[in-house]
Amino acid sequence: MPLILGLETSCDETSAAIVADGRTILSNIISSQIDVHQKFGGVVPEIASRKHIENVIPVVDEALKTAGVNITDIDAIGVTYGPGLVGALLVGVAAAKSLAFATDKKLIGVNHLEGHIFANFLAHQHLEPPFVALVVSGGHTSLVYQKSYNEFELLGQTRDDAAGEAFDKIARVMQLPYPGGPFIDRLATEGNEDAISFPRAKTGDNYEFSFSGLKSAVLNYLNSAKQKSETVNNADVAASFQKAVVDVLVDKTIKAARKCAVNKVVLAGGVAANSKLRAELTAACAKVDRELYYPSLTLCSDNAAMIAARAFYKHQVGDWTDLRLNALPSLKLGEKKYFAEKR
Amino acid sequence: MPILALDTATLVSSVALATKDTLLGELTLETKKNHSEQLMPNIEQLLERAGSAKHEIDAVAVSIGPGSFTGLRIGLATAKALAYAWQVPLIGVPTLTAMAFGCPVPGAVLAPTLDAQKGNLYVGLYRGQGDKVIPIREPKVLSCAAAIAELESLAQPVVVMGEAVKLYKSQLAASLHLVIAGPHLVMPRAANIALIGLNMLEQGLTHDPMTLAPMYIRRSEAEELWEKRQGCCK
Ligand SMILES: [Zn+2]
Repeated sequence: MPLILGLETSCDETSAAIVADGRTILSNIISSQIDVHQKFGGVVPEIASRKHIENVIPVVDEALKTAGVNITDIDAIGVTYGPGLVGALLVGVAAAKSLAFATDKKLIGVNHLEGHIFANFLAHQHLEPPFVALVVSGGHTSLVYQKSYNEFELLGQTRDDAAGEAFDKIARVMQLPYPGGPFIDRLATEGNEDAISFPRAKTGDNYEFSFSGLKSAVLNYLNSAKQKSETVNNADVAASFQKAVVDVLVDKTIKAARKCAVNKVVLAGGVAANSKLRAELTAACAKVDRELYYPSLTLCSDNAAMIAARAFYKHQVGDWTDLRLNALPSLKLGEKKYFAEKR
Repeated sequence: MPILALDTATLVSSVALATKDTLLGELTLETKKNHSEQLMPNIEQLLERAGSAKHEIDAVAVSIGPGSFTGLRIGLATAKALAYAWQVPLIGVPTLTAMAFGCPVPGAVLAPTLDAQKGNLYVGLYRGQGDKVIPIREPKVLSCAAAIAELESLAQPVVVMGEAVKLYKSQLAASLHLVIAGPHLVMPRAANIALIGLNMLEQGLTHDPMTLAPMYIRRSEAEELWEKRQGCCK
């Protein structure tokens, strides 16, 4: 029963977890920094890095204690090395390498986006690839064809803003607290989603997304109303904007599931917590006879259990890395690269 | 009973192994390569070449700053995790103190400097006393001009070391009052961290891997801006 210690510091959560067999969470400790970044209206990289260096050993210690295991009982250590904020990633990578060296454990570099998908293996014990996965978060919007536990094909991603980024930006302009996604979701339930017709990005017959045009359209709408001193129905704006995002995401995901001829669709990442996206994708999948899987709310946001789950399947095929492992802030999904410098 | 010491406060990547009266080994590289890829392999190499096994390490010392924020965090994350996993004492050593310790000129003021970005320097002032260095004042952030003016105002001769020596060579050379230390003395070296670390350990001055944080001196730019904005709104 291989035990993996997972470590995640790619953005604003410091997290450590112990996962058995890639499926069973023994502990998943998450130290969130949301309150620290709130007054700045977004994640400040230097401040995030400063919190990580304070929190990294305490979360590891708590993860081990909660799981009731000694660090010597661990089989391998998995750590997020990209994509993410470079200064934040470096803290986790340095700590993981050091722990692995000190205790003679295998070291596994984990791609954060792959980690998000693997949160679903923790939430659904019998889920197996192949499937199509939609990964949506503050930093990413990607459609992925996962053929097996260790084979990924990136079908397409956003050309500009991530979906979550658009949510956060619009929430900020509407003076909702940070992070804005959940507040827009809540506000939208009181609004009419057909009230305002915002544009759906036309990216053509592919699996790419674009949200910057939509974001500008919403911001223009809010600005011009302000200039004309018209009152805006914020709930209608939130609902109409959210509908525009969800329409595109659902449309392309279903198209991808058809093209890849899979009967399973997986939703992952922070925006997977959005109730409208869950509801619409559930309905759309049912219509085309596909099963939809998504993780619990805790497993949608950044956490180390999903990193440990991903690491387990790399461990099984001996996909370890050596002590030079570096932080790669723009690492791509499925990319097999561990160092910035040439060997 | 060796101590393992790390210094990644600047572009220099340095690791050392020492006992109370012997420097067993030191690996110091100023190659502009990143610390992230170098540090752990260098530690592994040093132990191997020095013939020391991991379980023989009795303590871990680390340079805590000031210095490059990212460099400091790589050093601290590594040192804290080693001390935590091995359950040995952790000692955080101030970077400027360690630099002064490496260049103990009797009768002189020792002035280690580090780059604080945008024309600024972190400057410490020390004097040697036996095998120790005593701080004359707390480390400060000063503009290059203000730092030179302070050093020139001192009665004793001043030995300047650290990053200012390279960054502001001509400005420093223009002052007859200042002595510039040689290249092997101006770089932060882990041997100094190791030996001060052993002194501190002997005095029971150790740190907790759960809480040890870098000595940044400067706050993040975002916090400085935020406070400025709050100030003007009052
Ligand atoms: Zn994420």
